[in-house]
Amino acid sequence: MTNAWLYDGESALRRSVTLGVRDGTLEIAGEDGETRVAPADLVFIESRTEERVYGRKDVLGWRLGVPEPVADEIAALLPNAAHYGGWIDRIGLWRASAIGLAVSAAVLFAVYQLPHWLAPLVPDRVMKSYGDAMVGDFGGKFCAGPGGQAALDALTRRLAPNVKGLNVRVVDLPVVNAAALPGGNIVIFNELLKEAKSPEEFSGVLAHEIAHIEHRDVAEAMVRELGLGLVLTTLGGDVAGNVHGLLSLSYSRGAEGAADAESIAMMNRARISPAPTAGFFERLAKSEDVIGGADMLVYLSSHPVSKGRAAAFRKGAAKGTAYTPALSRDEWDALVDICHNDPDRQD
Amino acid sequence: MDETTPVDMKTGEFADGVTFHGRWQEFLPIALTNLLLIIVTLGIYRFWAKTRERKYLWSRTQFIDERLEWAGTGKEMFIGFLIVMAIFVPILLFFQFGLQALILRGQGVLASVLAIGLYLALFYLAGLALFRALRYRLSRTYWHGIRGGSDDGGWSYAGSAMLKYIIGFVTLGFLVPWAMVKLWRERWGKMSFGPYAFEPGDGPAVQGLIGRYLLIYATPVLWAILVFALGMGTIFTAGSNPDPRVMAGMMGTFFLAVIGFYALFSLVSLAYYAVFMRKVVGEMTLGNLSFAFNARTMDWVKLILGNIALVVFTLGFGIMYLGYRHWSFYVRHLEVQGEVDLAALTQSTTRIRSDAEGLADAFDIGAI
Repeated sequence: MTNAWLYDGESALRRSVTLGVRDGTLEIAGEDGETRVAPADLVFIESRTEERVYGRKDVLGWRLGVPEPVADEIAALLPNAAHYGGWIDRIGLWRASAIGLAVSAAVLFAVYQLPHWLAPLVPDRVMKSYGDAMVGDFGGKFCAGPGGQAALDALTRRLAPNVKGLNVRVVDLPVVNAAALPGGNIVIFNELLKEAKSPEEFSGVLAHEIAHIEHRDVAEAMVRELGLGLVLTTLGGDVAGNVHGLLSLSYSRGAEGAADAESIAMMNRARISPAPTAGFFERLAKSEDVIGGADMLVYLSSHPVSKGRAAAFRKGAAKGTAYTPALSRDEWDALVDICHNDPDRQD
Repeated sequence: MDETTPVDMKTGEFADGVTFHGRWQEFLPIALTNLLLIIVTLGIYRFWAKTRERKYLWSRTQFIDERLEWAGTGKEMFIGFLIVMAIFVPILLFFQFGLQALILRGQGVLASVLAIGLYLALFYLAGLALFRALRYRLSRTYWHGIRGGSDDGGWSYAGSAMLKYIIGFVTLGFLVPWAMVKLWRERWGKMSFGPYAFEPGDGPAVQGLIGRYLLIYATPVLWAILVFALGMGTIFTAGSNPDPRVMAGMMGTFFLAVIGFYALFSLVSLAYYAVFMRKVVGEMTLGNLSFAFNARTMDWVKLILGNIALVVFTLGFGIMYLGYRHWSFYVRHLEVQGEVDLAALTQSTTRIRSDAEGLADAFDIGAI
């Protein structure tokens, strides 16, 4: 016989009861008779000093206070103490924490990788409408000096004969930069052409941007930047509000490295030496100290120049390959002066 | 209750009807493991963490002769949260993308009407959330195996709250104390414990409050007096002396004065809130029990400064103790007088709802 107390969940009176075991059930005897409770209906409520409290699944407010120590035959019918809730109690705190940590790491990795997985799913139609909207933002700033565009298109075709739908334009803005936009659009800023000493130096930059488009890095960066907004435009929403700020799309370090590798391969296939581009990067890196001007730094901020980068281009030049000039002297002059010679230029 | 009622069927008179028996050392394992599990589950465990915290706090709270028990579960809080997210996420998405699209399509008027409507809806939901958080907490609080609750959904309360705060707003805030007291009474008047309804009092709503409340309006004046009294008046002539050292000194004084304004404003607001809580709790009765709340302004100041110091000096871990500190503060300052006829205290017949406090969670508000 074990003495205990009981709240029946009907009134606030605390009743004295005795506990016994009969036919595998808990028998609770009090002044008004006996009741039996199946062990499966009992739940652990809490441990107090010198007693444990149990409840019943089927009667709210029913509470049984059992003083410690509990006789073994009765303890066998009572549920175990709960601490952390649910399955954590079953497998233990440390194992649960380890599992939680592993699952959380997997979830975070998946969230980080999600843009990479989703990029191929972005429809070309959406990419094109974003691209058109962004290209439209440059308005009349595109340069069309005689022969310039033809030279640019020729170089693009030579570097990437198999990439369809590329649209490379030069914009008259005093910024040393180039950007791959959605929908196969590439924008070269005028100042970058002036900064490049040769068509070969420029070819490396152009090939790099083409590689971003080939690898669908643009779509990936858009998914990362716009997230759900992109999904909504895919479903027919408006593009305009999202375009702002897309020019600063940034790519992962891995994507930058892959684009460099692809651009070196592209140049070798086109028999344009990748080595001069290394010189361009080195000058950019140096100009950080010498010039200190914001113009030069734009390219650096969106394409971080590491020492390894210039070296990769330098080493990319295969010995014994018969490299040919990227553009003829005349073509290169026409390209560099594409904005200066533009008859429609408004200034 | 008559003379023949046996002694063990009623509770006696107690000097202090509510006592907190918790110790921070005892709570530490709970706080540490909660933090660990919250981190490794990216925050999802916080519903179970809250439940464990409340189970501890309730079980260490003695009300007259018996301790309270928290019977809520982490699962129901998690489900409540999911339900509310299902309502809120579309609204937020519409705010972010839908309105923009409407404005871009030249539907500016429609967009502003919708935006105002949505703000009002959120305002309404905030009132509903407060009501339901209180209802949830009472319905999961057991004492002697008996719980509280409410059969009211809070719909009319939420409407009343929205209306009263709009009235408070258009009267430049002068009717805010009136709204606060009225709404406290409305809220608690619809709550019950066992068979007894809470009686929130019906005296003049703002009696005893208005003096301290007007002090809040006087804060700028008080501040200016203080600034001059402390010889910081030079900040008003800043810029007339070009000496950089003088300027730097002035800037320092200026920042000190700005911080002083916030400190003064908080102090005056706390002074009002302290008297508000003493009034509204002091008016409440439940059956033969009457309540009082004795926290004075300095008690509140100590609570807040203690919270800040705790969080700062533990590099943030102290956040795990804020719930503990607030609960123990309320319990220590709550007084109960009277007695309970245990035989007459029968189980609550109010419906147990499963919405938990997801809505309040979404607005980040408490129940009191």
